Amino acid sequence: MMYGARRSRRFNFQLRNIRRKSTELPTLKRAEARAPVLMRWLLVIRRVRCFVSLAGVAFLTGCGRSESDSHSGARPEGASSAANTEFTGPVEVVSQSGIEMVYLPGGEFMMGSDKGNADETPAHKVKLSAFLIDKYEVTQEMLARVQLPNPSHWQDSPRKPVERIRWREAKLYCNERSLLERLKPCYNEKTADLDCDYAADGYRLPTEAEWEYACRAGLDRPYDFGQPDKLREYAWFADNASDRTHAVGEKKANRWGIFDLYGNVSEWCEDVYSPTYYQESPPVDPHGPPSPGKDVKRVMRGGSWKASADMCRATFRQGQRTGDTDACFYTDYCGFRCARRATFEELQVLKNSRKP
Amino acid sequence: MTIHNELPPLVRLAGAKRSSGALLAAALFAVAITAAETQAPFRERLSRLPFKIAYETYVNDNWEIFVMNADGSNPVNLTQTPPDGTKICFVADEGEGRETVRSLYVMDVDGGNRKKLVDHAREPFWSPDSKVIGFLPQEYPKFNVIDYYTTGMSFCDLSTGKIVSHPNSANLHHLYNPCFAPNGKWVVATVHAGMGVEHGILLIETHGNKIINLKIPGCRPCFSPDGRQIAWGPGDHEIAAAPIDLDSDEPVVGERRVRIKDGPSKIYHVDWSPDSRFLCISRGPDGKGDLTRPGTFQGACEMVGVHAAGWNLCAVSTERDGVLDLNQATDADFTMLTTNGLSNKESAWFWPNRKKENH
Repeated sequence: MMYGARRSRRFNFQLRNIRRKSTELPTLKRAEARAPVLMRWLLVIRRVRCFVSLAGVAFLTGCGRSESDSHSGARPEGASSAANTEFTGPVEVVSQSGIEMVYLPGGEFMMGSDKGNADETPAHKVKLSAFLIDKYEVTQEMLARVQLPNPSHWQDSPRKPVERIRWREAKLYCNERSLLERLKPCYNEKTADLDCDYAADGYRLPTEAEWEYACRAGLDRPYDFGQPDKLREYAWFADNASDRTHAVGEKKANRWGIFDLYGNVSEWCEDVYSPTYYQESPPVDPHGPPSPGKDVKRVMRGGSWKASADMCRATFRQGQRTGDTDACFYTDYCGFRCARRATFEELQVLKNSRKP
Repeated sequence: MTIHNELPPLVRLAGAKRSSGALLAAALFAVAITAAETQAPFRERLSRLPFKIAYETYVNDNWEIFVMNADGSNPVNLTQTPPDGTKICFVADEGEGRETVRSLYVMDVDGGNRKKLVDHAREPFWSPDSKVIGFLPQEYPKFNVIDYYTTGMSFCDLSTGKIVSHPNSANLHHLYNPCFAPNGKWVVATVHAGMGVEHGILLIETHGNKIINLKIPGCRPCFSPDGRQIAWGPGDHEIAAAPIDLDSDEPVVGERRVRIKDGPSKIYHVDWSPDSRFLCISRGPDGKGDLTRPGTFQGACEMVGVHAAGWNLCAVSTERDGVLDLNQATDADFTMLTTNGLSNKESAWFWPNRKKENH
């Protein structure tokens, strides 16, 4: 079940045991229900030990993966002074409304590529603040929850990603999800482009830099998993998607535990698309060039069910018209996922959660 | 907006009870009249019609309903000066943003007896006997300006105020721009991302479960009052008219008889004149609305509630087959009805006093 009141309402999200084996804790819960009191205490102690062990491993190793994986570009630094020394790797969390996200500590990485297309050059160093990003692409059931119409071409499963969604409607979803969790919406709906308040704690589209940072997962190569021949294991793209979208999360996650970044649907970012932006991009938290007003294209990132393997690369860029003037927006590979800044309080929750 | 017309499908009824000889004589007479008429400029011909056209327009920071003569003369704001006529149903938005409530109203065509029928409803359409208003309930309570934000279909009986659902309502989803067939047998509507259809124009049986995909590209269909033709927008820059047999159990759209094109401007919201000879069309540049205008929303400017800067209404004759490019059309076939560009769209022809005359 995606949503529900199973999590604490006290904070906006809670720490989850990172990359836990899916059967471990539920098994304990089932046993607990039948155990006598003494046995229950033993189970509780075992559960705490198990949790601390898993969380500790994850924090120390960056989601449990080997650091020897050609690590180069990223050097996570943490989001705030309070948390700088606490979080050096991604942390899976669940939002107040029950949506799985991944906390990514801030850090530096090399954005773009000198070996890719012209708009990917030059590769340049970018420093980002910590943020949270959805573990999965926004699904059709998530859209229904905030009472937005589903424009998708393929509606045969509520777990399929939303597609054919305009940039503007994706932002409306972000605001509605913010309101659902009593967060401050980032987007001003009274402005034509729904101007973004990056200081607000609500949901928004990721910036292009945030998206690439999340996709690269600390590695400076086209695919974080290594060779292109493994792409089929990580992405639905033209070679294996059978000309349609698929339910989210069916392929392997990237190194930081985020699914479908390389395929299924391409994802809207907040930034205006400019093929020459990397030549002038600011080094810290870039938000893209200013809007030229008319005929603006926004950045879409990631491959899709109709993309070639080359278009699924972590650094591949494309600009897409937002569809605002078109009553029928038929671009059925346009989806999105949400991001938001991590607040100081939330980082404290993370920090406290890892202590026994 | 749609108009209660108390208007019988003229040609079908006129021919139904006459002998073939009388029909032929009537036809010859009609040809002679038509030939004489087509020699006059189109606007002059329109000025002789007994019909009027109601439309939405944005004036002084507010949406208004205006009524004008068929040639575009004497535009009148219904909230100020009452013309003659029967009834108009329309939607009105109250509130802001996603808390907006779009409601369905009906009033006399002179602006009197305004009455709210239902909240969270849109896309009203009149039954042929003018006793029932069909509408599409909003998909969710929270507002969205998108045109296909609907689920199901309902009918409001004006005499009792009772609202009933279409028998197949549970399976109707994301419809917009519905329109009754003059014989009452069908409702035609566009569907977008619903009912297993990516986008299409559907015939929906009024009292049953039958649904037929007409397999014509585009949106916003409208039947001619004589029941013999369908007009729709195959794309943003074309309006087409083609024959259809609505008495059939499996109606099929024939070859496009008339194709009205406009390269630079969008053309939308086609509506037939009560005599099934002319079309009123809204026409204007691409746009996504203007949020500085109170009471408007952002979206494609052809949608209800979105300000459409520079949009005007024009009338076009469908008497001659073929392609009519509005940028090269002469005043024999085409005339602009409004020129102020004040977001004029969603027109509806009507025949004032027709009900009184019939009685």
